[in-house]
Amino acid sequence: MARFQIKSFEPEAVVFDTASGDTHFLPPLTVALFRMIQNNPGITVDEMHVALASQLSLETGPDLTHQTDEALASLRQIGLLEAP
Amino acid sequence: MKLLQLSPSDLRHQLAGEGVWLRTGPFSLRVRSRIPYVAEGLAELYGQFEVRNSHQAFADFHVELNPPTTFRRWFRPQVNFSFDGAEPFKPLPLDQAYPMLEWGLNWCVSMHAHHYLIIHAAVIEKNGLAAILPAPPGSGKSTLTAGLVLSGWRLLSDELTLIDRKTGLIHALPRPVSLKNQSIDVIRRFNPGAFINRVSHDTAKGAVAHMRPPRDSVLRQHEPARPGWVIFPKWQAGAATQLVPRSKAETFMFLAQNAFNYSHLGADGFRVGTTLIEQTHCYDFRYSELNEAVATFDRLAERRAP
Repeated sequence: MARFQIKSFEPEAVVFDTASGDTHFLPPLTVALFRMIQNNPGITVDEMHVALASQLSLETGPDLTHQTDEALASLRQIGLLEAP
Repeated sequence: MKLLQLSPSDLRHQLAGEGVWLRTGPFSLRVRSRIPYVAEGLAELYGQFEVRNSHQAFADFHVELNPPTTFRRWFRPQVNFSFDGAEPFKPLPLDQAYPMLEWGLNWCVSMHAHHYLIIHAAVIEKNGLAAILPAPPGSGKSTLTAGLVLSGWRLLSDELTLIDRKTGLIHALPRPVSLKNQSIDVIRRFNPGAFINRVSHDTAKGAVAHMRPPRDSVLRQHEPARPGWVIFPKWQAGAATQLVPRSKAETFMFLAQNAFNYSHLGADGFRVGTTLIEQTHCYDFRYSELNEAVATFDRLAERRAP
């Protein structure tokens, strides 16, 4: 069994970590970011900003950068992304 | 045989002796008690439930409510709840013996019936679909549940939503509906024909009484229902009736946090819970008038009627 079980309820998702027994809620931006990283291995943070802005109809800028950083941090904290 | 077929003296005699075997939904229980309040509550509220000779029938839960064997027997008398000989709760005033039976039975199910995912929520049914009503205390959940089951919805449970882990269906446990404080009079006014037993005052939840479950709900207690909706009710004085769609992912998170055994079930709890949410429509519901609330629920049921 995979460590993480993910169930998508568009545009959000929930994740069950079979290792810890914890359940996590992923808001829309975090879901979009996670999918983007899965589908584009090696994508840079700058490329993420541009792609997220386009996908979620957001403006690029400090707000989006901050939100992206927070979403990346939460994915790492959950364990869905490995720390760089 | 139904409990109402036992004479009051037979009921008291059996309760004080070998106990009364009762079937409530998928569970059987054996109740023993020498306390008149317990006999009175069972006679008034469980008349339509099946009883058997307790010597001949297996019981899932063996419970007993009796005074502690101390001087408190005479001075401010109390009641103890015991389950298989253990006493999981502190004693309560004797006046609270009947609510203690109901609370104790909820505890028995929520702590032991792990073949279900058990959510702390009321659940009712119409046209084969169940509406799950999770909500924090004070949200008007029990009042709404009582109003709906007095208006043609079937009571599955006012407190424990039992989701079968194999089938995803919701099983019924149509025991009496717990009413607290103002909701007791609200329901008396809503339907003067509803039977509500004596009020126990000054409990941890305030004044508490129980409403007899509708006969049809008891007769159909072995009939499960498909999940149809998850609706978060909120009573608010003067509020217009409003039903607003809510996030499925957030609804799942709330249910997981308010399930008695989600953590215990691990990945299977996640699977059962997400499958349930997938099948349901999720709403926030605000209301102040019970009649309007019932009409809104009826319209929901009509829209999804087979």
